[in-house]
Amino acid sequence: MLLSLTALLVPLVLAALGLALLLRPDMLRSHIRRVAATAAGLALAVTLGTALIGLPGGGVARLDLVSAVMLPLVAGLGWVVLSFSSVSLRDEPEGVPFMGWIALALASVMIIVLAANVVVLWLAWLGLAGCVYRLFLTYPDRPMARAAARKYLLSAGIATLALGLALTGFATGYGTLSIVEITTAAEAGAAPATLGWSLAALVLAAVTASALFPLSGWLTEAMEAPTPFSALLHAGIVNAGGVLLLIFADLLVLAPGSLAVLALIGGGSALIGALVMLTQPAIKTALAWSTVSQMGFLMLQIGLALFPLALLHIVAHALYKAHALLNSGTAVTAVTEARGAGPVALPDAKVVARAFALALAIYGLGVVLFGALDKAPQALALGVILILGIAYLIAQGMAGGAPKALAMRLAGFSAAATAAYLALQAAAQALAVSHLPAPPAATAATWAVIALALVSFTLVAVAQTLLPRWSDHSKARALRVHLSNGLYATAILDRVLRRSAA
Amino acid sequence: MTHAVPALSAEQTATLTDTAIRAIPPAFPLAATVAVNPFLGQTDKTLPETAALLSRVAGCAATAPRSWFAARIARGEITAEDVAAALAGGEASLSVTDVLAAVGQVRPVPSPLPTVSALEGQALAEARIGAWASGYFDQGQALWAAQSEEGAYANWRRYAIHDLQPEFAGVPGIRASFAALPETSEDALIWALAQLEIPAEAASLFAHRLLMSLGGWAQAARYRLWQAELAGETDTSLAELLAIRAAWEAVLLAHKPALLPAWRSALASYSAPQTPSWDDLIDGILQEAAERAVQRRLAGAFCPAAPRGSAARPVLQAAFCIDVRSEVMRRALESQSPEVETLGFAGFFGLTVAHTPAGMCGAEARLPVLLSPGLESRAEGDHGAARIAGRARRAWGRFRQAAVSSFAFVEATGPLYAGKLVRETLGLGHDVVSSAKPVLDPPLPLEAQVEAAATILGAMSLRENFAQVVLIAGHGAHVANNAHASALQCGACGGYGGDVNARLLAGVLNQAEVREGLAAKGIVVPVDTVFVAALHDTAQDSISLFLDDLDEVQHAGAAKVLTQVASWCAAAGSLARAERAVSLPGAASEAEVAKRALDWAETRPEWGLAGCKAFVVAPRDKTAMAQLDGRVFLHSYDWRQDEGFGVLELILTAPVVVTSWISLQYYGSVVAPEVFGSGTKQVHNVTGGMGVLDGATGALRVGLSQQSVHDGTEFVHEPLRLSVVVDAPVAAISEILGRHPTVQALFDNGWLKLLRLGEAGTIADRYVGGLTWEPFAQVHKPALAAR
Repeated sequence: MLLSLTALLVPLVLAALGLALLLRPDMLRSHIRRVAATAAGLALAVTLGTALIGLPGGGVARLDLVSAVMLPLVAGLGWVVLSFSSVSLRDEPEGVPFMGWIALALASVMIIVLAANVVVLWLAWLGLAGCVYRLFLTYPDRPMARAAARKYLLSAGIATLALGLALTGFATGYGTLSIVEITTAAEAGAAPATLGWSLAALVLAAVTASALFPLSGWLTEAMEAPTPFSALLHAGIVNAGGVLLLIFADLLVLAPGSLAVLALIGGGSALIGALVMLTQPAIKTALAWSTVSQMGFLMLQIGLALFPLALLHIVAHALYKAHALLNSGTAVTAVTEARGAGPVALPDAKVVARAFALALAIYGLGVVLFGALDKAPQALALGVILILGIAYLIAQGMAGGAPKALAMRLAGFSAAATAAYLALQAAAQALAVSHLPAPPAATAATWAVIALALVSFTLVAVAQTLLPRWSDHSKARALRVHLSNGLYATAILDRVLRRSAA
Repeated sequence: MTHAVPALSAEQTATLTDTAIRAIPPAFPLAATVAVNPFLGQTDKTLPETAALLSRVAGCAATAPRSWFAARIARGEITAEDVAAALAGGEASLSVTDVLAAVGQVRPVPSPLPTVSALEGQALAEARIGAWASGYFDQGQALWAAQSEEGAYANWRRYAIHDLQPEFAGVPGIRASFAALPETSEDALIWALAQLEIPAEAASLFAHRLLMSLGGWAQAARYRLWQAELAGETDTSLAELLAIRAAWEAVLLAHKPALLPAWRSALASYSAPQTPSWDDLIDGILQEAAERAVQRRLAGAFCPAAPRGSAARPVLQAAFCIDVRSEVMRRALESQSPEVETLGFAGFFGLTVAHTPAGMCGAEARLPVLLSPGLESRAEGDHGAARIAGRARRAWGRFRQAAVSSFAFVEATGPLYAGKLVRETLGLGHDVVSSAKPVLDPPLPLEAQVEAAATILGAMSLRENFAQVVLIAGHGAHVANNAHASALQCGACGGYGGDVNARLLAGVLNQAEVREGLAAKGIVVPVDTVFVAALHDTAQDSISLFLDDLDEVQHAGAAKVLTQVASWCAAAGSLARAERAVSLPGAASEAEVAKRALDWAETRPEWGLAGCKAFVVAPRDKTAMAQLDGRVFLHSYDWRQDEGFGVLELILTAPVVVTSWISLQYYGSVVAPEVFGSGTKQVHNVTGGMGVLDGATGALRVGLSQQSVHDGTEFVHEPLRLSVVVDAPVAAISEILGRHPTVQALFDNGWLKLLRLGEAGTIADRYVGGLTWEPFAQVHKPALAAR
């Protein structure tokens, strides 16, 4: 009980900070860092507490594995983002209200994470949408900012309505407002008649909230507001959909159809987002498409019912992306240094084939040696996708023009990266073993999804490793034009929204 | 479409293209950016004439808003006498009353001449050309790069025939029109101008208008021409960009015939004469008056005081860059001891060097951008390991950025970023690493070294009475996470730090053989004199000495005095930081100045050259008693030592021009931030590793950001044209100006102001144009009615 109360204190501290900044701008300015650090410290204490004395289960706040991981993550990001803003927007007239809305948005995310019943969850979700909408309009005179806000409103509106529908279905189906009671019943196998459509609504809510393609325009234009907002959006807010699915994971595994849909939508967004990202010359835009892609990958993981890995992905991506966006002023140096390193040694088709074969062979050997053959096929397939990424690194080292010393170093990098993610995944699995459902037995649909994912990811991985050997082809150039324009999804949506406004 | 106008000939088109191109200033990529005069193409015009032109081609102002002048008049800083004096400069159609009355009015907002793209309402041409250009000019951000080996026009056409975006924006079928365009950019421009019915006499203005509509992209293309011409070559990127933009106009008009009547009536405005409006003239006078007012206050800095110090040999002579930021540090260092002297000289210290840092392919041009490199240097030692490390870092970066592998990257390394986020937030872990000693490679023959040393010492007016330690202090700025970091470095070193040039020069001057050669030329450097290179970090206001560059014998011989110098430098840094802390937001004390400089969230790590207003070319003792607030460039110069005035000619044609670029860049970023500034850093989006976009899309933004000139409440830079104060005879100055018409034009058209110090050490004369002068203290009674 004490832990739950302490956990609730974290969003309350940030909500108080946010309200104070909006209502009494001069009062708290110099304390922003300290208040944010206090909230992060409290969140960390709560997580350590759960590690020591175990998860309390019910209570005023829902403390389970997902919230015990997410709470310090969001609070920590909040501390980073608010500290950054307190310097970068120190002298700007928009600075104080900006930080106020940021703090309120953080509080909302935390309440979503901690909510013990569906009504609180939905209200926090609604509140978050309101805060984010205001943050989009930090510079209301910018036409592009207004266009991005319009698109956000559409996505957030769909997500909020769908979530309301889903939660209503859950509450009526299971006869309780308590999230813990709902998921406990589902864990025991209870599948009420309302489950089908409410899960469909839940998937819709999660997908629209995650900025998946093609409804990603609001995310890829979010750099119309100050950088710390982008960092919070990409690292925290956009994860709300994934968190939602993890909270209700026990329900999802009861409906394999919803999982397959998620995997397909997610996998598509992962590939399209990644391809668009490859063509973007502007750093924040490239990072935004990277998020579209990573959120797609997250949905693919959830669709494959690899919930512990999805949780790991949320944490890993949030930390990386927050840093990448806040640090985006270094893009000039990064590009200059890359140019200074001279021409890139490009692998040819033979080398690429060897690199992929080598990577897959090592992976296969590892699976056999560590007796992982009995693992779920979903997990093994995901491992293949990740190893395809490592093959890209290996291929660069094996390229004809690469000196031996470089090849050795890249082999070392490849080994370190492989070891790191295997270790992290093992840790995530071990941590989650009794808290998140295991993947259900693979059905025909699962196998189809796996096959489709493996083929498409392999194609993209091989094709980009061979860049720029084929990119001068006229079809490739045309494709590049379309991809660089985000396949026009935003243009079409803008047109529709303009028409409906007119 | 009817052809009321015959097509222009290829020759006419080439001429108008050239005219329009040369009206555009170059924008240097952010990897090594330098200040550029945004009015570079208008130096043959006066300010009101430029205002008249820019209001038409860019819709921007060329002077500060009236309220800025009104506040200064209300505070008594600008007086009616200043206005009268400004009017006496030649504007007979206005009276003091007219000007003072106009101050209270709001200047009408200029609207640029119409284009088809503007009439259509979506600025579609600008947006689509910008989307293409960001790929074409990409220096390596996108992993799947756009092809950029072919010319701009051909490349753009291959983009435009696939780009569906205009079709979604309501121009169906436009791709077929792009496909049907002529094969060459020259033919496309001729065709487009004919389609648009542009009369010959309006064509170059129209071309200028089109190029301005592309914002920074036109300037990025102009940079390519600038670099090519420096190397004796040429580049057609900007000419092709003009053809692209014109083709868009013609194609869009063909697809939107409803716009034809509006376009035809717009055409007339291109042929209207470009005379300055009444408001342009008023603003020109107000600007001149503001500068007169500043010059009056500046005149107080020159006291006819006794020369500072004694004729005895100083312990330390410290040579700094002429940069305004050196003034604070020089004053602080001089205050340490009467045995300290300081000098001002262009911060590349006369060495036009292309420098290759450890492990890098390709050299950095560490010299003024007006010049071509004459020397090559490299970091001492083996580059092999550094090169492998650099390539491995890049391969890791590609692994992070690539599709599919980015998933593996995030899953494997994401959690490590928690550590980075904590470190950055707590302000840890930005160690400034000292780079390896630079060496000339290929080495310079001894005679050439002696020759260079003699020339450089002569240009510094340092030929005798050498101190025990001569500090050669280049400057740079260590900042974090700043896309515009290079704008804070040494402008004379091409947007890099000045450390390499300083270290090379000290290395040359410390050689015994060079000193023998110098002695033969009458420059006797005492045996115990040590030249020590240093870096003045302007963000942290600290001086670090490169003592490890000295050989052991020299180091040991001067150990005691070097310790003394180091402690003077440390104390001076502390004083300078304390002085600067007052004006830096978020720096409550001296100690916080250094810390905030490396804060990754800091948008104002230092004020750069904001506030610069004057350039003094004189011996230091003429200004030594003055507190110039870090707003004045200082070049040491003693005309009595300058036989034939060769050094003066160098100063007036090189450093003076460079400082005009700097001062006018600040000026432009304040008076027309939407055209010559880069907007707020809060939404900057680095594109192609070479520039910034303002938010999600839009044109490349060049010039200074809002945070570089504005403190959130008001402008910290006063938009003033630079007042150059020269201590030299009138005849010598006039003769040099007469020999250099482009430099003379800068002064004659008011882009720079020229004053002269007299024998008494105070400002004696004012240059009034046409190689004529008047006494500085000329009294102008405010006549209240027009003459």
